[in-house]
Amino acid sequence: MSRSLKKGPYVDEKILRKVEILDQQSRRDPIKIWARSCTIVPEFVQHTFLVHNGNRFLKVFVTEDMVGHKFGEFAPTRTFRGHTNKKEERR
Amino acid sequence: MPRIVGVDIPNNKPVWISLTYIHGIGRFQSAKLIEACKLDAYKRAHELTEDEVARIAGELEKNHVVEGQLKRQVGSNITRLKDIACYRGIRHRRGLPARGQRTKTNARTRKGPRKTVAGKKGVKGK
Repeated sequence: MSRSLKKGPYVDEKILRKVEILDQQSRRDPIKIWARSCTIVPEFVQHTFLVHNGNRFLKVFVTEDMVGHKFGEFAPTRTFRGHTNKKEERR
Repeated sequence: MPRIVGVDIPNNKPVWISLTYIHGIGRFQSAKLIEACKLDAYKRAHELTEDEVARIAGELEKNHVVEGQLKRQVGSNITRLKDIACYRGIRHRRGLPARGQRTKTNARTRKGPRKTVAGKKGVKGK
């Protein structure tokens, strides 16, 4: 079920505050983020974020297309490099 | 046989059903369309007059995205997801289900025919 429109998008206020401060100083420093469920709002466009994936921080540069998605969508939490190929292993 | 929006030639079925042969028109949209054009849903498609066909075509043009245009729209939506490299985009690139379905079993629609791995033991063999 989707989120109630009455509440509006879920945005971590701390992140919004940090972005506002950066905007005032017109700086573009990356911001570390643990709030993967936070929605990307238009204010975040053109900023760089370091999104936690449970292990490390992945750099995410927010573009206009990303608005409406969540930070977590851009930092995969699983590593799967494919199955081992038996033939290649023997060599 | 009447022609509506390009190559679509519905047949001797009730108009309501034959309209669903257009890509992007299902039963629900079709019923709405008939309503908007004030037609008899159970009239056969070949009994439609020129005027009625024109009315359907006009209504489609105005309020529906259909056929090639719809396919392009869907394609561009997927390309967008791929470009921004979000989770759903990555799943599309990999040809895996994008909506959180299980992939341990099933998911054959996306993954295609089974690729049997030699030497892999089943659950029973353990």
